Amino acid sequence: MADITVYLCKCFGEIAATVDLEIVRAGLGDNPSVSSAEIVDSLCLNRDLETMAHQIREGVTQKVLIAACSSLARGDRIVRGLVHRGVRRTDIHLVDIREGCAWIHAGDPDGATGKAERLIDMGLAHLENVQTSDDVSVKINNEVMVIGAGPAGLAAATSLARSGITVHVIERAPHPGGMLRLVSRLYPKDSAASSRLEPYLDELERNPLITVYPRAKLQSIRGYTGNYKIRLSSGDDEHNLSPGAVIIASGAKVLLPDGLFRYGEVANVISQMELETRFRKGAVATKNAVFIQCVGARCQDRPYCSTICCPASIKNAARLKAENPVANVFVIHRDIMMPGSVLEGYYRHVMAQGVRFIRCEKDRPPEIIGTDRIEAVSVYDAVTGSTRTIDADLAVLSTPLIPNDDNRRIAELLGLQLDRYGFFREIYPMHPVETRMDGVFICGSARWPVSSDVAITQGEAAAMKAAALLARSQAAASDFSRVPGRKFGHARVNVETCSGCGNCMAVCPFDAIRLQKVEGKYSHVSRVNKMRCKACGNCVSVCPNGTMQMPEHNYLSVGEMIRRAF
Amino acid sequence: MLEQTRNLARRILEEKQANGILGLAQGEFNIIQPRIFSEPAELEYLVLEPKWPLAKMAMRILRSVPEGYTLAVVCRGCDERAIYELIKRNQIAREKILTIGIACSTAQASACLCERPYPSHLDVGEASAGVNPFEDETVRSLLQGDDAVRMARWAKVLKRCIKCYGCRNSCPICICEPCKLEDPVWVKTGSIPAEMLAFHLIRAFHLSDTCVACGACQEACPVGIPLLSLQLSMRKALQDKYMYEAGIDPAKKSPVLADFFDEPETDRDVPAWVNSLRENHGA
Amino acid sequence: METETTRQPRILVFACRWCGLIGADGAGKNRIALPSNFRIIPVECAAYVEPDAIIRALASGIDGTIVMGCHVGGCRFNDANHAAIKRLELLKELLDATGVGRDRLLISFGTAHEDHQFAEVIRDYFDTVAALPPLEPWVSTLTMKHLSRS
Repeated sequence: MADITVYLCKCFGEIAATVDLEIVRAGLGDNPSVSSAEIVDSLCLNRDLETMAHQIREGVTQKVLIAACSSLARGDRIVRGLVHRGVRRTDIHLVDIREGCAWIHAGDPDGATGKAERLIDMGLAHLENVQTSDDVSVKINNEVMVIGAGPAGLAAATSLARSGITVHVIERAPHPGGMLRLVSRLYPKDSAASSRLEPYLDELERNPLITVYPRAKLQSIRGYTGNYKIRLSSGDDEHNLSPGAVIIASGAKVLLPDGLFRYGEVANVISQMELETRFRKGAVATKNAVFIQCVGARCQDRPYCSTICCPASIKNAARLKAENPVANVFVIHRDIMMPGSVLEGYYRHVMAQGVRFIRCEKDRPPEIIGTDRIEAVSVYDAVTGSTRTIDADLAVLSTPLIPNDDNRRIAELLGLQLDRYGFFREIYPMHPVETRMDGVFICGSARWPVSSDVAITQGEAAAMKAAALLARSQAAASDFSRVPGRKFGHARVNVETCSGCGNCMAVCPFDAIRLQKVEGKYSHVSRVNKMRCKACGNCVSVCPNGTMQMPEHNYLSVGEMIRRAF
Repeated sequence: MLEQTRNLARRILEEKQANGILGLAQGEFNIIQPRIFSEPAELEYLVLEPKWPLAKMAMRILRSVPEGYTLAVVCRGCDERAIYELIKRNQIAREKILTIGIACSTAQASACLCERPYPSHLDVGEASAGVNPFEDETVRSLLQGDDAVRMARWAKVLKRCIKCYGCRNSCPICICEPCKLEDPVWVKTGSIPAEMLAFHLIRAFHLSDTCVACGACQEACPVGIPLLSLQLSMRKALQDKYMYEAGIDPAKKSPVLADFFDEPETDRDVPAWVNSLRENHGA
Repeated sequence: METETTRQPRILVFACRWCGLIGADGAGKNRIALPSNFRIIPVECAAYVEPDAIIRALASGIDGTIVMGCHVGGCRFNDANHAAIKRLELLKELLDATGVGRDRLLISFGTAHEDHQFAEVIRDYFDTVAALPPLEPWVSTLTMKHLSRS
């Protein structure tokens, strides 16, 4: 059926100089699908868009193929201009004959013209066979579940509640607070951790929109953006929640220095967290204290820097020095990480107070000397090039934050990605608190080791993003994509031909497929959750008989494109 | 071995462990055909030869039996593997099937080029060592040499194909209705021999991680195409890279369908396929 | 006159919209000269590329195929590209066993998202495919409607 109009753009000569558009147009004359082919000087100057849109709206032509520059150049803008003027997206197809043809084959005009003809024919194949995914509209529940009640989770919860959104905070421990309960004071102002925690705890109590579930265990997470279905237990109680969004603020855990620097073998070789615990109980007495940085970090197993251990050690070193003015306090490091003017200033201040810094090398770590208790630390000073032995009655090992053990389980349940270390991955680079699952946000140390003030900032950011999502009471499945307005479609099952083999379900990276019993069929049949489906195409590739298709890129289209390619 | 199998089958029926036994029966005029034995007395007609994969038949039978029916199936190694694959693909409900495992002899294993001529649940007979199919002459000649040589040899055998679909029909794993091989978008219709690349490679690839090496395809082929050899390299690759073999564990899905997380530790954490050009050609 | 053995190889590229296509676009913007006998089919993700489509392409007179995707760990669809790699590598085993040649499918993930990288992949692949024995015995009838002029 001749219902496609082809527009060939000269691009003011950029394309026409290499591709002979007259030949191309002439070739299209015999094509049964093409109603007319026109050559225009330049499509991006808008004056033709109105005519094109008008023709489609009036039914003069059904579909339009645009042969012009690439979508990344002006092509996208042309397409959007047409959509804006009321044309359905799947009735438009853009073929790149500039970046993809004229500009890379400038020395071969014959080849370029032939290639342009083939590319346009492939585009016609697409338009002849393209189908449109049906959409679905869902209600967005005005509730959020925050996993974790540490600084990040608390900041998120209170921000959301202040915006009038109901928040459910689930916390593994018996009390909220996370790291703020375990740490004594916070850098750089040396304020008590409790002073940062208390206002949040107050608000948790006072604000009726916030409910806290202590001793919580997540049983299952199903559902989709706008309507997640959560089952959890809190102590002995069971709860079912239906939040519209989920914020993961589950934090991280501290690596225990087992097997490193004779920890556990020799008394008074302690971890940083243990030092914090001692500080919470009162002043810590010492005559010779040594901090060792990068213990179990920046090594083969964990090549990353955990960012918070240098500021934490320096804060604690300063405190030891303040509480024991005549003590010798050393910090043995490979590099000192104190980014920003405030932390840098703090570092210099602490140096001026008499805390001494020794730089060592990765391949020559310090050694703990002592039999039952620590007596000294021997270290190769990389700056002076000599080995020194320092008396010590206390060694503090700075270890990194590592991902929680259940990150993987949560990632599988929610269709999230973890990075190679096991932290939740955001959408890099421009969406720091968002994940591939719309409606699931990450903040705090669950995402990457951070201090509590940064965790709070990120928690508030995640709350903001969640609030923006919840601002609509309804949304369509097609709204959710990383590039707004351009979700590609979603997979469609042919119920008649499905054998229920479950390949699609096994391979879906977003866990968007389930098998369902259907009337009149002996086997189950696949069903796609249109909200969760992101149109990646994995299911289509493993379906043995073409039951699963992506309507906008179905096998009829692909088969025809292959046939017309050469 | 035959008497033992018959006795075991009788006992299963008498003790009501199953409602019927699926096996081969030698009946009038010595014609052998599959049969559901529902009474212990009928089992005098049970025979174990020739090899005939019953998995697909069991699947179809189980679709139309009443609720609560259990079917026992006389299984060689390949039958059991096929049943496990069909269980994985939700075509057979595990609780509805019972296997009577019988072992194949060394001679039978050699005839089928079978590496594993016994089921994991073995009831009758002794497990004999399998054979290595890569040591077979025909297999070696097909997989040896450089690309052009191999291509020529395969083209020679595949040219005989008359598109009878015997391979697909007899394969115990091929259950799709409709089948892609009959779709003109994928395989040209109306010509013989079948489009060599399209027909045979699409069929072979669809079975890549699920072929149980029963050899039914090869036996069914009226023009003697060595179809089993098409699958061998892929089976070996799955074994080497992922320690996976089809039909061994009904709970273990193919690595092609499994997540990053579920892959076995094989001394490579991320596959080195990032740039196969550089890797293969030092570009 | 163009004969089977002297013509330029025909290459079909499946490029994912997020990586491979960016490289192709970059090559265009920088006017990098490339041989003209290749076509690109854009896909959302390399996971879209059915192995059957590769087989169909090779059965239709195409000499080599490339699948371009994002590097492992960089797929916006939760490592769907990793699943694609596993499938396609298995297909290469079959292509190898039958003599069609494992080089007729090039898997290039993550290398082609810059212009010169894309160009390098294309140029090198033309050389690779040109060195392969012709697929003629296998393609029983050429189902191409048109042949490229070059």
